[in-house]
Order: sequence, then C-alpha cells, then structure tokens
Amino acid sequence: METIVRIPAALRPLTGGQDEVKAKGGTIGEILDDLDQRHPGLKDRLVDAKGVRRFINIYLGEEDVRFLKGLATEVKSGDSISIVPAIAGG
Amino acid sequence: MTARIDLAAARVLVVGVGGLGAPIALALGQAGVGTLGLADDDEVDRTNLHRQVLFRDADVGRPKVAAGAEALARRFPQLRVVAHPTRFLVANAVDLARAYDIVVEGSDNFATKFLTADACKLAGRPAVQAAAIGWRGTVLAASPAGAPCYRCIFEDIPREDAPNCAEAGVFGPVVGVVGALAADLALRHLAGESVSGTLITFDARGREPMRQRALRARPDCPLCGARPEIARVDVRRYVADTAAHD
Repeated sequence: METIVRIPAALRPLTGGQDEVKAKGGTIGEILDDLDQRHPGLKDRLVDAKGVRRFINIYLGEEDVRFLKGLATEVKSGDSISIVPAIAGG
Repeated sequence: MTARIDLAAARVLVVGVGGLGAPIALALGQAGVGTLGLADDDEVDRTNLHRQVLFRDADVGRPKVAAGAEALARRFPQLRVVAHPTRFLVANAVDLARAYDIVVEGSDNFATKFLTADACKLAGRPAVQAAAIGWRGTVLAASPAGAPCYRCIFEDIPREDAPNCAEAGVFGPVVGVVGALAADLALRHLAGESVSGTLITFDARGREPMRQRALRARPDCPLCGARPEIARVDVRRYVADTAAHD
C-alpha cells in the first residue's frame, strides 16, 4: 500500500525537489522508515528518539498525529500525509 | 454584497514591520482600523525593498517604524499610528500586548514568535501569528483565552538550524499572500467571528497551494494546557539552547 506524503519546501532538497512522494507502510512510523530508505536523511529531520520533533507536525488528513497514536497511528489506503514544520521569516 | 464593521475604535499591534508586517498594516489601515501600533527595532535595508512594500528607496537606513508610520499616514489620514521602535522583548511584550485589542505578529525569528504567544496569553489578548520563507507560509490564530495557541502546534524553539528569510530568502508575492491572510484573520476577529484555532498553510509551489485546518489545543501544552507551566515570560524560554527540550 502506497501513501502520498506532502513534503514542505524546506525538506524538498531531500526529495529531489518533489513536493509529493510515495511511501509504503501501515503506520506513520513505517512510512517514515520507508521514506528514509527512498530519501536518506528525511526521517531524522522529522523525528527524534521521543517521537515527532517538537517543532514538526505530521498530519494524517486533517488530524495532527499527536492527537492520534503518534508514530503508531495506522494509515489506510487513500490517506494523505502532510508535514508542517515551524518556520520563521517574513 | 458589502459588509462594514466599525473598526475606528480598534487597536491592533503589528509585531515585525517587514515583509509580512507591511501588507498586514496596509490591509488593516485600508479596512479602517483606528489605531495601529508598529513594533520593530530594525532599519530598512536595500535587500528588504523587493518584498517590504511600505518602504521606498529613500527609506534605506531609516528605522522601519518611522518610515512605515509615514507611509501609512500618507495613505490613511484617519489612521493613528503608534511607533514602538523596539523589538518585542521579555521586558515589554506583555505590556505592549495589553495596550492593544489584538496582536498580529509577522516577525522573522522564532524567539519573537514564542514570546508573542506567551505574552498574548498572559495579557489576555488574541494573537494572529504569520511566518513565510521561500515559497511557503503559515498563519494561525489563538484566542484571548489562549487555547489553542502557537505552542500547541510548535512546542519549542527549534534547536537545530532552521533557515530564516535572510538565509533562505522569501519571495515577495508570498509575504503579500500570507500577510493578507493574517490581516483577514485579525479583521474577522475584530468583527466578532471566532477564528481561534485556525491554521492556514500556503505553498506557492505546492500542488495544493492553500490549506486550512482546525488547530487542536494540546492538553499538556505548557502555555494553555490543563497545568500550564508558563506563568510569566522568561528570557531563557526564547533561546534555542536553553528552551525546554527535556
């Protein structure tokens, strides 16, 4: 099962400039592992030993995975995942 | 259909008079807001001019709040502009926020963003917080009660290097869009609409350029959660190396 993951601009250098990439996995954690295989270094930018980094948000559809089961959140076919990092600038 | 609300008595503080602050101030002035406070300690640099639309070539080297106040006065004679030639600091943030009905923050650094969230909660003022970098931006609104807030979604200052606009660049039209969205949320709040918890992301180069989500209050949020830890602004919270990364 492949899921579409939307990549924010700041992380696109790791995905060859792609704003959407595909990844396989039944949970958010598995998808991040697969993403890291395909785009080395990406997972480290999103999670640390405690889970999703404190200034990163991973949305499954409209819901922040922190309010679900975090990295153990199950992902179904057709779901979409978005990454929203904290940004500063203006 | 036209809808008008009386904004003459409204007082709005704009924190950061740069790429975002300029369109925010122009939209609020155009809408008829009575008093605009401008808080910034920076001077106009030539590299600002492509996106900071309040300023002209002749303003290079001048304090942004002075040049911005003049530009707004030329354009909106009825508008009262209060220049605060200072950064939003631990020493003044709560008092400044309390002096206005709402704070619209478009600063270029995380310390000011987290300080704005904390100061507005402690002052009991709503906050609209905007950021833009490269082709992307975010805007979120927090209520006077403070929940949900900026710390519900971004818990702490990023410790590792995050690019800012001086390093990564920000494209002029992007701050125009993101600043307009921030001003829109502020005006909707002033009109009595509940916008708290609105998170808008904008990505000019994304397949889905704009997306709006409902932000959820985090029960363990240190600012607005059930047992808040932040009872006052403390300078140590706004330095990445000493922020609470336990």
